[in-house]
Amino acid sequence: MRSAARYGWIGYTAARSNMAYRGEVLFRSSFLAVILYIFMRLWTVVFAESKDSRIAGLSLPQMLWYLVITEAVFLSSPRIWAEVDQDVRTGRLAVQLIRPLSYVAEHLSRAMGERIVRFAINLLIGSIVALVLVGPIPMSISGLAMFAVVLPVAFVLDFFGMFLVGLSAFWLESAAGVALIYMRCVMLFGGMFLPLEIYPDALQPALHVLPFASMLSAPGRMFVDPSFALLKESLMRQGVAVVGYAGLVFLVQLVAFRRLFTNGG
Amino acid sequence: MFRSLLDYIRLACAYLRINLNAQLAYRGAFFSEAIAMFINDGAWVLFWVFFFTRFPVLRGWSFTDVVSLWAICAAGYGLAYCAMGNAHRQLASTIANGELDMWLLHPRAVLPHLLLGRTIPSAWGDWIFGYLVYLVFVRPDARHMGMFMILNFTTAMAFVGLGIMAGSLSFYVGNAGAMSDQWRDAVITFATHPPALFDGAMKVLLFTVIPAGFVSYLPVATLKSMSMRDLILAFSGAAAVLGISVGVFYHGLRRYESGNLISMNG
Repeated sequence: MRSAARYGWIGYTAARSNMAYRGEVLFRSSFLAVILYIFMRLWTVVFAESKDSRIAGLSLPQMLWYLVITEAVFLSSPRIWAEVDQDVRTGRLAVQLIRPLSYVAEHLSRAMGERIVRFAINLLIGSIVALVLVGPIPMSISGLAMFAVVLPVAFVLDFFGMFLVGLSAFWLESAAGVALIYMRCVMLFGGMFLPLEIYPDALQPALHVLPFASMLSAPGRMFVDPSFALLKESLMRQGVAVVGYAGLVFLVQLVAFRRLFTNGG
Repeated sequence: MFRSLLDYIRLACAYLRINLNAQLAYRGAFFSEAIAMFINDGAWVLFWVFFFTRFPVLRGWSFTDVVSLWAICAAGYGLAYCAMGNAHRQLASTIANGELDMWLLHPRAVLPHLLLGRTIPSAWGDWIFGYLVYLVFVRPDARHMGMFMILNFTTAMAFVGLGIMAGSLSFYVGNAGAMSDQWRDAVITFATHPPALFDGAMKVLLFTVIPAGFVSYLPVATLKSMSMRDLILAFSGAAAVLGISVGVFYHGLRRYESGNLISMNG
């Protein structure tokens, strides 16, 4: 219990710290408005040229709100990989490990604190843009509650992915390249710009099995088209992905920390 | 004039060789960044593959047109920041932190030395990607390939101009790092999406405040039409962006305050 409170406090401090720079975070989030505008134009043209009023089961306003959520989630991701990469390369990790805190849990709580603030700001900006461009979509309390269940799990999953990327610094000169590739995988295979149903049929089973869909597509879909069946399916996939990722982090960390040497100084 | 130009070309080649050798001292990091950028660009092309598989034509734009847009952007961005890496993201913070002193001590003009002083490893991945994707997906004949190579220089000029202008904001508003990043990213994002999506006032913005039109729209129009008029337009637009940015830099330089830092370039 005391331990949970300690990590909760770390998360709270990280959130407060991000709030102190909300002006900068808000300014950086303005890029979201550019992306949303471009994709709103893209989908407006696609819907105008298509005979169907729905594409991948979504109307034009739903499509833009789906983008708001997937973009807000993606762009709120803290640079955890860079922190781990720096800890490894500068040797700061040795100091971190002697603290009475779990290295992973400390980063997780900090990442969650940061992410909540960033996501809230992104959502605010995205919602304003979407309301101006396409107006509101029908929403319900139960739908929002289901979204609120799926969203934090998506954050945790992405954290594990980023953490694994950071740990690659034990073997590589820099984790920056791996991070870029990882982010593009999340973007492309997570359904950030295109709902997964638009991808070629042959790819869809694989895309749904990959953890990336649980990070972006699951919360996006849950926000615009919620249902209990979708909640059940999303939570099941997210659960499997979290267990798999956490196990992988544990194993990689175990192997990586064996390569750690302290030379004093 | 011609001799001076030749001297600057020699200077650029010497800088490029030295910068590349410096980067290759960390071979692993250099290649991993270049390859990662190559894969990053590839992911975007894959996105368009998926998109056009489902929607074959987008207001008259086909997959090969969008690939041409990506190829011209990537190759231009690559060439610009392989050769003039200091026009990349660091310029704003260099100015804001008062770190221009070292460059002010060089003989001749400040700006060429400053711009040529660094190469960006990931830009090499962009450059190679641009050419490769154009050759593989568009399969150009010799005329189109020749035109692509000429347009590579006009796009690079536009990118260098954009980088100088975005970085020079720091002369006027303090640390403009975030602002210049947002501006640059907005231009790149617009430049890699078909212009057919935008109309009205947005089109005007795309040839002024957000000069995506000179970065990719005009070069791709030139590749499609192969007309000399379009080539002159693309070149004039890129030269205008570069010319204005040089003016803004030297105007801003009068407001520069030294950080009194002692720094080494190596």
